[in-house]
This record gives sequence, C-alpha cells and structure tokens, in this order.
Amino acid sequence: MRYGDFTPFDIILLLQGLGVSLALFVSTTLIGLVIGTAWAVVRFYRVPVLMQLVTFVAELLKNSPVLVQLFLVFFGLPAFLKINVTPTEAAVITLSGNSAAFIYVIAVSAIESVGRDQIEAARVFGLTRWQILRRVIAPQATAFAIGPLTGLLVNQLQVTSLISVIGVMDLTKVGNILNLRTLKPFIVWTAVGLVYYLTAKLVTYAGARFEKRLRAHTAWKGL
Amino acid sequence: MISITGLRKSFGAATVLNGIDLEIRQGEVVSVLGSSGSGKSTLIRCINGLEKIDAGKITVDNFDVSKPRELAEARKRSGTVFQLFNLYPHMTAVQNVALAPVEVLKVPRKQAEAEARELLNSVGLSERADAYPSQLSGGQRQRVGICRALAMKPSYLLLDEVTSALDPEMTSEVLSILANLAKGGTTMVFVTHEIEFARSISSRIAFLDKGQLIADLPTEDFFSATGMALPRVAQFLSKMRKD
Ligand SMILES: Nc1ncnc2c1ncn2[C@@H]1O[C@H](COP(=O)(O)OP(=O)(O)O)[C@@H](O)[C@H]1O
Ligand SMILES: [Mg+2]
Repeated sequence: MRYGDFTPFDIILLLQGLGVSLALFVSTTLIGLVIGTAWAVVRFYRVPVLMQLVTFVAELLKNSPVLVQLFLVFFGLPAFLKINVTPTEAAVITLSGNSAAFIYVIAVSAIESVGRDQIEAARVFGLTRWQILRRVIAPQATAFAIGPLTGLLVNQLQVTSLISVIGVMDLTKVGNILNLRTLKPFIVWTAVGLVYYLTAKLVTYAGARFEKRLRAHTAWKGL
Repeated sequence: MISITGLRKSFGAATVLNGIDLEIRQGEVVSVLGSSGSGKSTLIRCINGLEKIDAGKITVDNFDVSKPRELAEARKRSGTVFQLFNLYPHMTAVQNVALAPVEVLKVPRKQAEAEARELLNSVGLSERADAYPSQLSGGQRQRVGICRALAMKPSYLLLDEVTSALDPEMTSEVLSILANLAKGGTTMVFVTHEIEFARSISSRIAFLDKGQLIADLPTEDFFSATGMALPRVAQFLSKMRKD
C-alpha cells in the first residue's frame, strides 16, 4: 500500500474532524443563544446605556467578516493584551460572538412579533414585565424564531470551517490533510462536503420538528 | 369605589378627555355611551392604567393609578374585558383564565385551573375548556375573556364594547352572561353601543361627547325628558335607534 492511498483509518480521521466541528458548532451555538437572548432581554427592558452598547457590538459583529474577527482574536488579542489564545479558544470566542449577534437580531424580531393586545391584557391583569416575557412572549417568540434560527444555524455550521485556517483540527482541516496526502481533491472534498451537507440536513430536520411541536396551537384546521 | 376627578388626556395636540369627573360605587352598573371617537376606550384605558393621564386623578378603592406602586393594587381590583378579546393564543381557555391567578395572586396551579374550569362551566364552555382561542368562535372567545377577568375576583369589571366584534347571535350569548353578572351585584363600567341592553342593566348612564362628560344620570332620567333635554343626547339616541 502506497502512502498516497486511502486507508480505513481515514474514515476515523474524518469522523474526528466532524466531532471537532460539531463540538464547536454546538458549544458556540449554545453560548450564542444565551448571550444573544440576554441582549434581546436588555433591549426589551430598555436598559439605558447597556441597550445602546449591545446594539453597537451586535452591529460590529454582523457587519465584519468572521475571518477578520477570527484573526483579530487569534493574532490581535495576544499581541495587544499579551495573553495566550489557543486556536480552540479563539474559535470558540469568535464563533460564539458571531452567533450571538445574529441570534440577537432574530430574538428581537421574535419578541416584537407578539401582538401588543395580548401584552396589554397581561399588563392589566397585573403580570410583571418579567412574567409577561416568560409566560406570554417567550413561548410565542420561540415558535416564531425557530424558522430563522434554523436557517442561521445551517449557515453557522458552514462558517465553522473557517477555523481550519488557524489550525483547529476540524472537518475541513482533516480534508486538507487528506488532500495533501492523497492528492485526490475531488474525492476528498466531495466526501467532506457530503458530511457537511448531511449534518446541515439534520439541523434543518430537527428545527422543523421542534417548530411543529411549538406551533401545536395553530396547527388546528377547521371551523 | 372608582373615583375620577378632573381627568385630562391628550394624544399629541388632540385632547381626547377634557376634565372628566365620575364616580362608580360598589354594586353599580354604569354604562358609558357616546359616539365613536368620543373617548370611551381612552377612559377605560386610563382607569386600568394602560394610558398615562395628563391631569386629574383616578383612584380605585383609594389606590391612585398614576403611582406605579399603587397601580398594581388598583389593577388587582379591576378586571378588563376587551373589544377584540386579547386572549393569549398559545394557551388553552383554561390556561388563559388561570394565568393571572397563578402569577399574580399566587394561587396554586391545580386550584387555579379547577376554578377556571368552574368559571368556564358557568358560561357554558365546559366542553371547550381545553381548546385554543383559534379553535373557538368569537362569542366563545369573549366568554373566555369574561372568565379571565372574573378569575381575578375583581371588585369592578371594565368592559369596552365587548360585543361589537360579534354577530347578533353571539352578542346575545355574551349579553345574557353580563345580565346575570349585573343581577348578581357585579360592579361594572360598561362601554357599549347596545342602547337597549344598557338601559335594561344599568343603574346609571354616563354620556361622553368629544371628551366631555355631558350627562351622568340615573338610567330612567337619561332615557326620559331630562336626557332628551340635552341636544347631543337626543341626537345620539335618535341616530342609534334608526340604525
Ligand atoms: N394611541 C392613540 N394615539 C393617538 N390618538 C388616539 C390614540 N387612541 C385614541 N386616539 C384618539 O382619541 C380619540 C378617542 O378615541 P377612543 O377613546 O378610542 O374613542 P371611542 O372608544 O369613544 O370610540 C379618537 O379621536 C382617537 O383617534
Ligand atoms: Mg372604543
């Protein structure tokens, strides 16, 4: 067997790469969800100063390339603050921030999608702002947000491939290594692309299932 | 007692309520009449604190609705029923009714839902208790809306044209519930265009015209010579009766 041939071990290598990509995707999505939603709540409460700050940061993150943000965190932060940032840390920080910014936008429009009339009803019955957010707005806003959120996450999954350039051993980086070894780019990148595709499909499917469950109350047809 | 003195409310340059004085005592049913745009909804929204008032004072059992601390207490004492129901679409009828008792009055959920079922039962909705608003007819939705207000055991019910989005059949099913409540001694501020119904259940009629309360009379007086002596009232009544 020549050095350049594919081996069964390559499958394991690909799966490891997928594992790294997925771990990054899931963790940065969760962090992004927490931060993005918190930012939207800040806006809902119209917290002065903090609200403007959030809008400003989200605007910066949305309107600059993720790759530039990644370089800034990986190369810029160590140079500026004299701290060590590993590739994985840089990847987590950058992707979380980026997801947070876009999730913030989705969360804000989801909150605004809930009809004012119901909120007024909840107010006159004495519910606090927090109770209204939790009991009236959140369940409906979540159902509203799942669609756009699924779209965003499918995109963010692809964006994780950018981190291969700073040396994180994700799926794309593994593809790179296999390609250099075997010199069979068509096969390697087709396989890698297929794995991303199937994962993205899985995300879409999960989103659709979840949305259907949350929209149970509007699913009824009749009258 | 709900007490309104010198109430003034403007939206921008437009003065919508211009010096209203009105008292509603426990046990009274006061119907608020007036043509469209006269400020009836705004009056209700000032009483339940949905609008900030510009001048004057509104108290509900002596709690001043302009003071954030007291507004919470005032709101516990009055229940609002809305023209367009304003139900929570993601909750069943029972959940709609039980929400505020659970969250605001801290009634245990089981008990609140049992009481909600009883209320829904009393308005003929026992079968539909677990339906979502989208699965209910307009009249059924408004009956849920009434139960939701009653669940807070309010001293006062504020009703803003609660039948104007309903067809005649549904209107009569809702009105018969309100008639029962009135008979049972529930205090009501009842904004309506149902003149004959207002006449049958009200102890008093308040008549709004361009943001001013130009009549506040016992029902018999309003519909007799005293009311007819007021040109705007006579005009309004003759117009309503023609329609
Ligand atoms: N939020 C608002 N902003 C501006 N104008 C308003 C608002 N709400 C009501 N108005 C105006 O106030 C007047 C009285 O309205 P409303 O209280 O709804 O009358 P009614 O219920 O008697 O028909 C109308 O001219 C209406 O256009
Ligand atoms: Mg009105």
